[in-house]
Amino acid sequence: MSWLRNPWGRPRFLLLVTGVYILWSLIPVGLAMLFAFNDGRSRTAWQGFSTRWFTGETGSVLNDPALQGALRHTLFLGVVCVVVATPIGVALALGLQRWRGPGGGTVNTVMLLPLVTPEIVMGVALLLLFLQVLPGIGLGSNAQIIGQVTFTISYVVVIVRGRLVSIGKDYEEAAADLGAPPLDQLTRVLLPLLAPAIIASAGVVFAISLDDFVVTQYLSGDASTTTVSMLLYASARAAPTPALNALATIALLITLATLGFAYLVYKRFASSDDAAAMAGLEV
Amino acid sequence: MQGEVHLEQLTKQFGDVTAVDGIDLRMPGGEFFTMVGPSGCGKTTTLRMIAGFERPTSGRIVLDDTDVAQVPPHKRRVNTVFQSYALFPHLNVADNVGFGLKYKKLTKSEHQKRVAEALDLVQLGDYGKRKPNQLSGGQQQRVALARALVLTPAVLLLDEPLGALDARLRKDLQVELKALQAELGITFVFVTHDQEEALTMSDRVAVMNGGHVEQAGSPREMYEEPATLFVADFLGVSNLISAAASPESDGCVLRVGERTLRATSGATASRGEVKAMIRPERVGVEAQGATGENRVPGMVERAVYVGSAHELHVRILGGDLLKATVQNDGSAFAYEEGTPVTLYLPPDAVRVLAPSAAAPAAVEA
Amino acid sequence: MSSRWTWRLLAFPGIAWLSVFFLMAFYVVIAVAFGNQNTLSEPVAFWNPLDWNVGYMLETLKNIANGGPFFTVLVRTFVFVTLALIMALAIGYPVAYFAARHAGRWKGLVLLLLILPFWINYLMRMLAWINLLSPDGLATRFLSSIGIERLFIAVDLLATEGGWLEGQSFTVIMALTYGYLPFLILPLYAFLDRIDQRHIEAARDLGASPFSAFRRVTLPLSRPGILAGLVLISLPMFGDYYTPDLVSQSTKTNLIGNQIDQLTRQGSSKVVGACLTLILAVLLLGLMFYYLRATRTADDRGDDR
Repeated sequence: MSWLRNPWGRPRFLLLVTGVYILWSLIPVGLAMLFAFNDGRSRTAWQGFSTRWFTGETGSVLNDPALQGALRHTLFLGVVCVVVATPIGVALALGLQRWRGPGGGTVNTVMLLPLVTPEIVMGVALLLLFLQVLPGIGLGSNAQIIGQVTFTISYVVVIVRGRLVSIGKDYEEAAADLGAPPLDQLTRVLLPLLAPAIIASAGVVFAISLDDFVVTQYLSGDASTTTVSMLLYASARAAPTPALNALATIALLITLATLGFAYLVYKRFASSDDAAAMAGLEV
Repeated sequence: MQGEVHLEQLTKQFGDVTAVDGIDLRMPGGEFFTMVGPSGCGKTTTLRMIAGFERPTSGRIVLDDTDVAQVPPHKRRVNTVFQSYALFPHLNVADNVGFGLKYKKLTKSEHQKRVAEALDLVQLGDYGKRKPNQLSGGQQQRVALARALVLTPAVLLLDEPLGALDARLRKDLQVELKALQAELGITFVFVTHDQEEALTMSDRVAVMNGGHVEQAGSPREMYEEPATLFVADFLGVSNLISAAASPESDGCVLRVGERTLRATSGATASRGEVKAMIRPERVGVEAQGATGENRVPGMVERAVYVGSAHELHVRILGGDLLKATVQNDGSAFAYEEGTPVTLYLPPDAVRVLAPSAAAPAAVEA
Repeated sequence: MSSRWTWRLLAFPGIAWLSVFFLMAFYVVIAVAFGNQNTLSEPVAFWNPLDWNVGYMLETLKNIANGGPFFTVLVRTFVFVTLALIMALAIGYPVAYFAARHAGRWKGLVLLLLILPFWINYLMRMLAWINLLSPDGLATRFLSSIGIERLFIAVDLLATEGGWLEGQSFTVIMALTYGYLPFLILPLYAFLDRIDQRHIEAARDLGASPFSAFRRVTLPLSRPGILAGLVLISLPMFGDYYTPDLVSQSTKTNLIGNQIDQLTRQGSSKVVGACLTLILAVLLLGLMFYYLRATRTADDRGDDR
């Protein structure tokens, strides 16, 4: 391992491992996306280029009710989750940041727990909650939204709080010093400064919601509450057509476009350090 | 005079740590008042309490006969120039300066006029449309000043406002800031850790240490007549001499080893172990063998050329090392290292010090 | 002071939400696990701790203690997760190290490529491998043509030709490694990137060879990052059921997650499922708090003046 012996030499071994890893991690997905454009039913043998699995008359994402419904429902959950989780998370981040006195530490820990709790534990807990305590809500879209919001709130808090810490207290104090009452300190100074973090966290929430599987599956009701992830799970081994690849490709492109947009907004307005931290956020 | 601040038994504790320990200070209206001290001495916490960002644990902050200790910051007639400037990055310069005017209920034209006047005052009349990040450090500092002054506060608080600037710009702004204060007649309360800045800018200086005020007075008093060891050591360079004191009718006699010195200033009524000090520029350097009162023989151990002067480190008989400054008047330098000399310590320049007001316990503010 | 209450008021909706849908949901698991079930094997929760019925929990624990099916599944889970963690670290550490230290002007691109899989739907990444490893898949054909398939059959890591997706432990462990590696590399990268290069230079300056500088400085300094990263990916692995479902479809590779999934969502006995969920949560609680503690120090810095 020459990279250990000569620090100025090119670390060939590390370069090799990294290169092979990147190829290994991305090529399978690339091939899966490629076969979404296959002009045949096979997902392993290339039969020419076509967009039939995206827009064809039958069995395509556009025209197959199950595929189209799953995509529609996934996007619906994503949008609602953003609309609900972002404001709650921003308010919680602000509240926690300025929480003085008892209780702050406990709330902090509880807020972070959803980030590390295995999803199956949350899935079972919420499933039993809706069956045993809240049958009025029941399983289905509402339960799925509630479940997704419950763990995406934490992501919003983490992102927004990171920005709050890097903003510091000076701006707020300056606003107070110049005569702004607490509400104005919030609306005239803090929220404008937090805007990039809020947009970024909304993007992250949307992407997580789109990709979520376990909680969404546990809280699903009838077939109309099937999402893209659930459909992938259900049909991956059941001799599917490339339409499944097409569906996954569309969902992936939407996710990446959302995150790319959120990242650009964040990078434009926040320091590059903050942006890097956001991009590397753990899921 | 408006803008007089009285701190009465002001105390601030953070948990178990006492950052400010029952200080009393009088800041006369219209003066340039400086709090100086090492980091953690409580000066910034004191300033933040006057601004309203920290609530005092106990004590009063009397601004023109009203106790404002419990008044929230946005209702105090006090404005702050922050060390970081804290210019709002999402607003341009004019909007930054106009930020607080919104709460003054002005007409639009009045608002604009006040902003323009404030910007002219700090010579940034043409910069209204710029964003803060398009300005240099010195310009940002001026915007911060204009943003606070436009509200015509009774007291302007400045938290190390020159700390982030380079040495030359710092000097220029020191002069400008002092001139501005004199012109406006607003009370300035200035916090710095730089003793030179404190001495050159202020009408009155308070030296703080470990949450206490060691001494407060005019810069001249503070430098010439330091009351405590800490003040003597913190402001300027001083030679400290350990001695046994016994008072007499005209000053006091200090016994240093075999020798006696006469001292006529400071705590001359002290008896027993004391510290005495003398400034290097007051130490006379004479040829070996010179005789008379308050003369001690010694040997030049180091001679440092500093341009305008020579700084001599002289080991006197008995072991203490004294610094002496010899002005560079162009004549040949006669005090190479190893030269035996006699030092003259004028009785009125030897000052007997009282012990420090507080043990210098460093407390992070 | 009024502003203090403004802040608490802002936190209130979030606290209320998490109290009901997180904390209370957990209490429901406990109440069901210590409850009963009716004749339709539907759970009947006992809300009052004084009424708790420990019967099902005891039975579940006995099953584990006496080496019953739950024991087998738990042991398999620990073995699979441990092997996957070792594989992930063996691949992830050099990659993260390269990205942090040696990527040079390609750092941006390398990072982007490392972040990408992070945001690609986990199930799509599994779907991709299902395509490749199906009997006529590209990877299957490739592995067969270079003789790896025969080698694997010879050492008993593969049962039949083209049977990569038919209940193979090796496939499941590789799939877990593949699935969770991106979530290890990024935190590891962030940690390695923060290690001050000057420590290593100082070690070299003091006479350490590059290898001993790595072993005596870089490795000890990166230990907290390695531990935190491994904990972070082990948590979802312990709760995984979809990976074995997708790449194996056999009870031979069932993990604890599969067991819980069958008992709860698929509904054979939600009470026993709740017991197992509770046992899993308790087993993982230490890891969860370890991770929160390890990352909090970095988070809270600059929180207060």
